[in-house]
Amino acid sequence: MAIIEVSGLVKRYGGVAALDGVSFSVPEGEIFGVLGPNGAGKTTAVECTAGLRRADAGRIRVLGLDPVADARRLRRSIGVQLQQAQLPENIKVWEALDLYASFYERPRDWRGLLAEWGLAHRRDARFGGLSGGERQRLFIALALVGDPKVAFLDELTTGLDPQARRDTWDLIRRVRDGGVTVVLVSHFMDEVEELCDRVAVLDRGRVVAVDTPTGLIDGAGGGHRVRFRPLTPLDDALLTALPEVIAVSRDGDQVTVTGTGDVATAVTGALARGHVLVADLRIDRRTLDDAFTALTGRSFQP
Amino acid sequence: MPISSGTLPASVVKLTAVEAKLLAREPGSFFAVVIPLFILVIFGFSLTPGDAVLLPTTLAIGVGLVGLYLVPTTLATYRERGILRRLAATPLRPEALLAVQLLLQLGLAVLGCGLLPVAVGALLGAAVPRPGLVPWAVAVFLLGAVAMFAIGLVIAAVAANGRSANGIGVLLYFPLAYLAGLMQPRHLMPEALAQAGEFTPLGAFVRSLRDLWAGDAPHPVHMGIMAAYAALAGLAAAKSFRWE
Repeated sequence: MAIIEVSGLVKRYGGVAALDGVSFSVPEGEIFGVLGPNGAGKTTAVECTAGLRRADAGRIRVLGLDPVADARRLRRSIGVQLQQAQLPENIKVWEALDLYASFYERPRDWRGLLAEWGLAHRRDARFGGLSGGERQRLFIALALVGDPKVAFLDELTTGLDPQARRDTWDLIRRVRDGGVTVVLVSHFMDEVEELCDRVAVLDRGRVVAVDTPTGLIDGAGGGHRVRFRPLTPLDDALLTALPEVIAVSRDGDQVTVTGTGDVATAVTGALARGHVLVADLRIDRRTLDDAFTALTGRSFQP
Repeated sequence: MPISSGTLPASVVKLTAVEAKLLAREPGSFFAVVIPLFILVIFGFSLTPGDAVLLPTTLAIGVGLVGLYLVPTTLATYRERGILRRLAATPLRPEALLAVQLLLQLGLAVLGCGLLPVAVGALLGAAVPRPGLVPWAVAVFLLGAVAMFAIGLVIAAVAANGRSANGIGVLLYFPLAYLAGLMQPRHLMPEALAQAGEFTPLGAFVRSLRDLWAGDAPHPVHMGIMAAYAALAGLAAAKSFRWE
């Protein structure tokens, strides 16, 4: 069952439509990505859905509630991490968690969250003294402290180093596995591809596609490419017989195979079975970047 | 209202405790308490016994500093940093934070101003209002504080951020303090300015305090002026306050 239903969402700022008929729905227990370049309307869409902004038109239901009319009831069941929200400089980490926990009827034990998000040793540190990564983890912990059914996370890993990003992704998967539906706003392709069950791609205030990351990439067409230089004779038929392969072309001694799905595994497997030795093997996987370009006719500029 | 038993009051109690700690960690609150005390002590040593000017003056400085500096700077900073917006996403209403902040700042003004007569009584021997006027003194103090706080709220509403709120507070504080006769004895001021000063909120506050110290009830006109500022500025702040 859909836990979030959005249809025909319109939001204008001074006559300019930031959202122009946005629709999507999110089933319970998903990590749902909202992907798009800056200014695409991602944050506006999610803030309307979470009841932080009032849409000009359209229908929104979250947990069956209208985010404007039932705002107070909805706020008990959602958690948010906003892009431009800070805490007072002098508040201590434990004070912030303890305070936010008190806003909810059945909060999670904030001491557990502190440990889970790697902040136990910073318990008594003031917000002003935290690093960018520590702040970000505290915001995520604050979004979860009310034990929400839906968590809205806006630009989750901004300011985190690569290792911290991967750790955060693991934790978000655990949040989802714990039964929380996660709506993730991001302009990072790799993050969405890695983490999201399904993605709405936004461009200029419109949803241009909703699909799984794999579905979006395959739908973009063109397929993945595998390139190599055979060191022993190669019969093209060995490869064209594979269901994943669309075409095989040669340029000098260079062979390029295009295909769909897991074409790289199929090709390397066939080469091994045919005892063909190759050099300079390169696999060009299609990415969400390519999907975005195919969907909008423009390259993705975050 | 389906407010579950105890949840909301408990969160407001916790919010008050945390905000009180934050206020205590804020250097600005320290200065708002210490500056009037400092002025009192410096000038206090040249007091003639039974002086009825210095204490009202420092009380007005104390209330003015909290109302025009601390209130707008704190609230505008809270908005600038998205703290009010973040709270709006929780079951707590951001209005609760506003109310808690104003009460705590009033508490700070009471604390700072409470120290003044104590210091005077202990060290200097200046006059204090006679016991019969104490209810009036409380009324004057509250009305004056509410009027100054309301103006502080208007500053918080119109200022773009914490820094500009601070700037507007300074810009407004000095002319108001001058007109109120806090910087220069009234008889040394140009007559027109001294008279105009009675119609400023801080001026009406100081006049009322001086009446009390002279042994009289405050003049209704001065009480009315403070009430009018409180009502008009309060209304303007309520109309124009932005949460983000």
